[in-house]
Amino acid sequence: MQMDNFRNERDQYFKEVDNLNHPNETLVKTHCSYCAMQCGMNLRVNTKTNKIVGVEPRYDWPVTLGKMCPKGVTAYQQVNNKDRLLKPLIRDDQSLKGTKNGFREASWDEAYDLIVKKFTELQENYGKDSLSVYSGVSMTNEKCYLTGKFARVGLQTRYIDYNGRFCMASAAGGLNRSLGIDRGSTIPWTDVQDTDCIFLAGSNTAECHPTMMFRVWAIQERGGYVIVADPRETPVARRADLHLDLRPGTDLALANGIVNLLIENGHIDAEFIKNHTNGFEDTKELVKQFTPEYTSAITGVAPEKIIRAAEIYGKAPNAIVMFARGIEQQIKGVDNVSGYTNMALVTGKIGRAKSGVATITGQGNGQGGREHGQKADALPGYRKIANPDHVKYVSKVWGIEPEEMPKEGVSAFEMFGLMKQKTIRALYLLCSNPAVSAPDQNYVREQMKNLDFMVCVDFYLSESAEFADVVLPTTTWAEDEGTTTNVEGRIIKINQAQMPVGESKPDWKIQVELTELMGRGKYFSHLKTPEDIFNELRVASKGGTADYYGVTWEKIDKQDGVFWPCKDEDDPGTPRLFLDKKFNHPDGRAKIFALPYRPSAEEPDEEYPLRLTTGRVVYHYLSGNQTRRIQFLRDMCPDPFVEVHPETAAKYNIDHEELVRLYTRRGETTYKVKITEAIRKDTLFVPYHWGHEKSINLLTIGELDPISRMPEFKACAAQIEKLKIKKVQ
Amino acid sequence: MKKRLYLELENCIGCRSCLAACTQCGGHEERNRNYVYDVNPLVNRQTMPLMCLHCVNPACARSCPAQAIQIHETGAVLSALVEKCIGCQNCTIACPYGIPKFDTEQNLMYKCDLCIDRSKDGIPPMCASVCPTNTLQWLTDEEIEAKQKQFNLDNGKWVTSMPYLEGETNVKVNLPGILQGVTKLF
Repeated sequence: MQMDNFRNERDQYFKEVDNLNHPNETLVKTHCSYCAMQCGMNLRVNTKTNKIVGVEPRYDWPVTLGKMCPKGVTAYQQVNNKDRLLKPLIRDDQSLKGTKNGFREASWDEAYDLIVKKFTELQENYGKDSLSVYSGVSMTNEKCYLTGKFARVGLQTRYIDYNGRFCMASAAGGLNRSLGIDRGSTIPWTDVQDTDCIFLAGSNTAECHPTMMFRVWAIQERGGYVIVADPRETPVARRADLHLDLRPGTDLALANGIVNLLIENGHIDAEFIKNHTNGFEDTKELVKQFTPEYTSAITGVAPEKIIRAAEIYGKAPNAIVMFARGIEQQIKGVDNVSGYTNMALVTGKIGRAKSGVATITGQGNGQGGREHGQKADALPGYRKIANPDHVKYVSKVWGIEPEEMPKEGVSAFEMFGLMKQKTIRALYLLCSNPAVSAPDQNYVREQMKNLDFMVCVDFYLSESAEFADVVLPTTTWAEDEGTTTNVEGRIIKINQAQMPVGESKPDWKIQVELTELMGRGKYFSHLKTPEDIFNELRVASKGGTADYYGVTWEKIDKQDGVFWPCKDEDDPGTPRLFLDKKFNHPDGRAKIFALPYRPSAEEPDEEYPLRLTTGRVVYHYLSGNQTRRIQFLRDMCPDPFVEVHPETAAKYNIDHEELVRLYTRRGETTYKVKITEAIRKDTLFVPYHWGHEKSINLLTIGELDPISRMPEFKACAAQIEKLKIKKVQ
Repeated sequence: MKKRLYLELENCIGCRSCLAACTQCGGHEERNRNYVYDVNPLVNRQTMPLMCLHCVNPACARSCPAQAIQIHETGAVLSALVEKCIGCQNCTIACPYGIPKFDTEQNLMYKCDLCIDRSKDGIPPMCASVCPTNTLQWLTDEEIEAKQKQFNLDNGKWVTSMPYLEGETNVKVNLPGILQGVTKLF
């Protein structure tokens, strides 16, 4: 392809629209801080105060065309929010851990001195690996990359992992295994409206990724089909042509059942299977037992619906399979991903425009953040720490000897286990809020409380910060610049619209300064701007699977983003994967996996007869640390609730809006009931955006997928009980 | 080219982004001026926006004893003029759709003005700009006519504001059922 005039595709929706320019204001082009749709937006900045004062649509962003969800519209209100942390906080009285109390404001010097003293003491007494870093992917590639280097070269510990274990790890595992590469989508989002069938599995698309909904509806307006597999009749399931209302935790059976019918109906692409895949015969043999009746018995979906779904997907000239956390947050999340990917591989509906497979990434930089080495087993460019050649290459870029590279660590949730054993004694937490988002909260909070020393870096005093000894104030996304990689695998640019609030500093700067104080500055001091870090990342990722070497900030601006892999300056990037039908396994073939069904870690029984599943509402993002502080969003959804089917409610003698006790083997809490027919009778749903006693993760289970190490948030056994209300005297 | 607000109610997912965006319009004092309703909350997740339809002969303006409700040359029925509104709330009763809101502290009616500081220059109102589902769109008459052809219902009626509840409206509405006339591809 010719680079000179290359620009990523604009589709039929693209229109030239003027922006409104308010007097004494300027517009800064950027993207939203929240999910991986990374909607384009303009921040309105007052030119006298230099403060962000509002938002203006970014009509010329080809993916979202000015559209924003309510979180996006109000995202700017995070920046100058009254809850911002303006100075470092230190808590001297350890007995107050787990509360908001006892913090005093301190200077950066004092906070840094304390951190360096504690970290050094602990490492001298208990070894380098007594420190841990727990990170997140709601921040730029530059920060994610540097955090990996900070842990391994700066702190010299093996224990680093990130909240993608609760988000994208199963998708990554499944896509790597099936296709040999983990780029969340094989196609750009501008293909979606033009496909003939979209199969959405475990995605509450309308609430979690609203700005792709106009493309989903457009498929139906053209006469195409929308199929949704979800235990709840979510807003997208309500209008779908077919809603496969399966029991939580049974996706693999549904996927096998559909693949079986695709084969039986002759809807497979034999040429494609023969030339470009392995594993078909074994899979064919295994899925035979998944007849519509057998599949229905496991999933609870009517056999005729399963037959119809296979017929539509099979007949569709082009089709896209998309999935999200619903199928991924299970102990068989990786198998679910490979199972649904099998649908595309047996029919050959992959490796061309308008057909493919995608995971709808959750966090803003869930894609880029998992590629560049803050995962326990990974190094930049999707390299592996277990591979000596990979270690050799990255060590050279970092200026260390390969022997100095720490070994592979453990996954996010498993780090709490090492805290319990006192293998890990200190935690440097950034960009994450595990005191809300991790499963089995009673256990997790206990481990955080028992740490010898904990640092939390955040821009608000999160629930997790309540466990810290030192809290460092960092910046929001609008006070720094850098890149993220969106849901499509498109690398885009976040721009700075305001100077940091108070004494807050961007995460990368804090890390550079800390390493300098710890005597490791020679590996970090040359990184003076985010662009310096990006340029080092480019080299570190060069030749890896996620190759960013050819991406420059200039190219991102010129082309409306760059799809990786992008190998050199002349490479415009790769919007569509596998157009040559070459997959990323050494033999160039994709793998069709034969996947035996297995039940959830905890199936309902007499004592706990209901299935509990969790998820999100449209008004809140992840642990709610950001969105709960924004008035409009709080007004729209102030508190969690439990969704119960009316027949189930009648059985338990529960009324709408009544308080119930909800409990599992791990914990209990109290919620208001929301009665709705839009849920299975055997299932309860609670959104997870709240902390303390409101957290549904007090009840969820910490059992992990064996490959992705992702916890099973989406299915555990629960019971509800009507609260005996005492009469007020 | 004149554009109108066009509503396709069947697309609504209840995200209320339109209401959040409404607070962002320069002249709106951070108050949202329209509504999104849960149609049948104990049963399903169907929702619908209720936006001012900007009647050609608006009942709110007709009912106003102080002539506080002006009609802009674009057809937008504006919010009450602060200096004229006497706070009688006739308009809130007269409007067949229940659109005008009332601020008891300021003794003042306020309502959707189609983001007049934007729409007077052809810039889409905030609600239609951000709507993630194309429930709210900002279209030319030609585009609306094409929609009408695309979504002919099987009863031969294109349900916009016809039959009128109150009179002809500048905003065009397509009630739930847009997919009834669509022929499936296969």
